[in-house]
Amino acid sequence: QASFSSGEGLTLPRVTCPNHPDAILVEDYRAGDMICPECGLVVGTGSWYRIDSNVKGTHPSTFLLQGTGAASFDEFGNSKYQNRRTMSSSDRAMLHAFKEISNMADRINLPRNIVDRTNNLFKQVYEQKSLKGRANDAIASACLYIACRQEGVPRTFKEICAVSRISKKEIGRCFKLILKALETSVDLITTGDFMSRFCSNLGLPKQVQMAATFIARKAVELDLVPGRSPISVAAAAIYMASQASAEKKTQKEIGDIAGVADVTIRQSYRLIYPRAAELFPPDFKFDTPVDKLPQL
Amino acid sequence: MDDLALERYFDDSIANDSSCPLEEELAHQAAPQQVPSPSPPQLPETSGPGGKVRDVLDFSFLPDELNPQDDRSSKTAAAAESQAAALDVSHDSGIVQDSSAANLQQDVLSLGLGRGASPFCPMTPMTPMTPMTPVTEKSGIIPQLHEEQSRLAARKYARVVQKLGFPARFLDFKVQNMVASCDVCFPIRLEGLVLTHQQFSSYEPELFPGLIYRMVKPRIVLLIFVSGKVVLTGAKERAEIYEAFENIYPILKGFRKQ
Repeated sequence: QASFSSGEGLTLPRVTCPNHPDAILVEDYRAGDMICPECGLVVGTGSWYRIDSNVKGTHPSTFLLQGTGAASFDEFGNSKYQNRRTMSSSDRAMLHAFKEISNMADRINLPRNIVDRTNNLFKQVYEQKSLKGRANDAIASACLYIACRQEGVPRTFKEICAVSRISKKEIGRCFKLILKALETSVDLITTGDFMSRFCSNLGLPKQVQMAATFIARKAVELDLVPGRSPISVAAAAIYMASQASAEKKTQKEIGDIAGVADVTIRQSYRLIYPRAAELFPPDFKFDTPVDKLPQL
Repeated sequence: MDDLALERYFDDSIANDSSCPLEEELAHQAAPQQVPSPSPPQLPETSGPGGKVRDVLDFSFLPDELNPQDDRSSKTAAAAESQAAALDVSHDSGIVQDSSAANLQQDVLSLGLGRGASPFCPMTPMTPMTPMTPVTEKSGIIPQLHEEQSRLAARKYARVVQKLGFPARFLDFKVQNMVASCDVCFPIRLEGLVLTHQQFSSYEPELFPGLIYRMVKPRIVLLIFVSGKVVLTGAKERAEIYEAFENIYPILKGFRKQ
């Protein structure tokens, strides 16, 4: 699953784990993060995966270069031969989409395997032609969403929206259409899928992240939050865990990271608050005891 | 099923007595003006739900002129009707519940609107209409009433258009969509349902809190919620709704939350 980047004779990245400055960060290709092996802190830089990717052989630009030798120019310095043969007129839209997918994935530091899966999905949908009338960007965004889900590291619709020009509504529609067209299905999202990303974006230590994961899972098991979106429950769990620890985060901050409104976090928090004592993991070190947790 | 008798009953009930306070107002205005009960010859119904109707219709119980006396009733009726229209999912007919005309009357009166206006489209005079929101089964109204009411409402619309001067005729009335809502009275485990009925279900909490179940045999779409409320839509016949519910109920019982 993980590959050691230092084995390829490259210089170490400038970022290091704050707690263990001389620990060599382990690359988790699945989520595109760098993890400290001592404490498990996610120190995501995101740019390392590119070294592993073998893009060069298939890069489209290798086909389209104009000749640059001495013989290819006539007397005035203008190019003699028009080497503008369109390599793939019928699939130019597909290549354009691949470029767009690559851009989108780059914005959120997705590893190569997700991008490849997205490209495959897009190719299948494109060849099927059942969604021909829809904007290619919408289909591409939906394919990216499905690929993330299939790889086990789902991104929320809002996260995909942030890197795409398509609205959440349209991505949602295309998502359902693609699942129908390709006759696949995806697993249901759980609260744990988002914990590592949200917590590291907020700068929360591993203990808090583990506590939040536990709280969210327990809350769903005890059915304290029926009908609530898993993202909202995860956000509320992170809020509770962070408020009980030394690193307190406001609802607004968590809402910004998770893409949930702070009133939504408040609603879900109100549902889990009454049984807060049972929700914390047994070995949790409380900075603020359970009875002193904020009561919104 | 005697449709003719049904029409007759329905028109009689509107014209003479009725439980709904709205219709009392209508009867009020109808009484001083003309013969209250429109006679059957005006409403020939051959047979079956799709029967053709001759275009000569008598809406004598509809006041032609709006006078100050109409204000209260027209406002409330307009409010009730537009509220019903807003609630209606369907095109030509709908089985809509939970909207009492009585509540609306208070709201509309308190708004203190001008003559003939409704809260939803100000300055638009509207003739009083039969409320499209039906009374519940408990009141003892015979079934098939909702379809009949929608037919009547459509006829009234045709009459309004006719009065505006357009050459309107009421032909080929057909119920295109029926929506129903119900409650199974126990919470449901949607995650379980989506796991076992993957090819029919779509449950995306990020997109919509309910599970969208597309039943194949009667082609009905059901929206199933965690609370146990179920919305059935896409039916052309009442029987399809009943059949769909009979099909889904044992499945839902299997996913009851303990």
